[in-house]
Amino acid sequence: MEKTQSRWVEVFKVALPLCLSYVPIGFACGILLNVAGFNAFTALLVSILVFSGGAQFLIASMLTTNSPMHTIVMMIFFLELRYALLGSSLSQYVRGTSKKFLYFFGASMNDENYAVNYLKFATDKSWEPKDALQVEHWTLLFWSVSNFLGAALGGLLPIQDYLETVDFALTAMFLYMIVMQLRNRLTLLISLLAGVLAIIALVIMKSTMGLIVATLLASFVGFMVEEKLTKKGTDFSSPWLKRHKPKASKKVVTKEGAE
Amino acid sequence: MHYTAFDHYILVVLAAIAAFLPRIIPLRIFTSKEIPSWFNAWMKYVPVSLFTSLVVRDLFINTHNYTFTGFHHIGKILSALIVMVVAYRTRSMGLSVLVGLIAVALFTVGLHW
Repeated sequence: MEKTQSRWVEVFKVALPLCLSYVPIGFACGILLNVAGFNAFTALLVSILVFSGGAQFLIASMLTTNSPMHTIVMMIFFLELRYALLGSSLSQYVRGTSKKFLYFFGASMNDENYAVNYLKFATDKSWEPKDALQVEHWTLLFWSVSNFLGAALGGLLPIQDYLETVDFALTAMFLYMIVMQLRNRLTLLISLLAGVLAIIALVIMKSTMGLIVATLLASFVGFMVEEKLTKKGTDFSSPWLKRHKPKASKKVVTKEGAE
Repeated sequence: MHYTAFDHYILVVLAAIAAFLPRIIPLRIFTSKEIPSWFNAWMKYVPVSLFTSLVVRDLFINTHNYTFTGFHHIGKILSALIVMVVAYRTRSMGLSVLVGLIAVALFTVGLHW
């Protein structure tokens, strides 16, 4: 294969669709953080250090409802626990890298750049850990600048009346993530269970701790039911665990690995 | 509680630590060891449960006094259904969020639902 362009341009092309979709969401996130009390600099700082749409929207929405700090931090910890799974599944591809590399790689990993990198590692043999880190940093750049601009300009815009509207970006993003997670009937059932449990736990506990209780209970039920179904030896025949394919076709990220 | 600008910095640092630990610990461990299957099996259901809880709170709970609001926020609930259809058909996060924002603006600000 002849090299017609430098490596960073190729990597940037892989990251670009994700970078562009971060612009409106990052801007909305910056506005919300600003409304919740953050200035442009703290919005930039949280975008770089936390770099997670879910966590940042969560901070904004919990600050707006005046939640205590320990509740916010604990909620973020539980929200970000899923990265333990993402990190585990990527670890086979980043073996043999330095400790320093892993710290940088882990710090800037999120749902979306994980999805891009996982696909590249799985399909493109020439994809290296340093390329994956570069994808993370391109997306980080677009995300943090969009957040900064949103927070800076959000202060100039009269958007208080539309707060509930912009806040829906959070709900929409979580809904998107739910839909992407629905692999089989059992997952759908656990999702519904989590919803019912969340209402009950929130109303009883009168705090966001209800979210944590509902999450732990529902995911534990999912784990137990799956254990039981697979122990019975019905792993692939059980209709509850049968993989479900979404209608839209999977996007091919790039083809530059082909001859 | 009331948050000062200094509290915001502390919050950002604590949030960064809370976000960093779950990311780095498995990376450090599993680049040298095998992943236990029970861990994967349990972790698999955490995201979907948490996201559903968060959405349900946004749609059905009054976060000031934690009461169940039923179908009072019908505009938001309809927008949520639209977002799910768009997400399912397009698999695009940007498009899902954009359509969701337009729908909720139309229903709540436009029609006062």
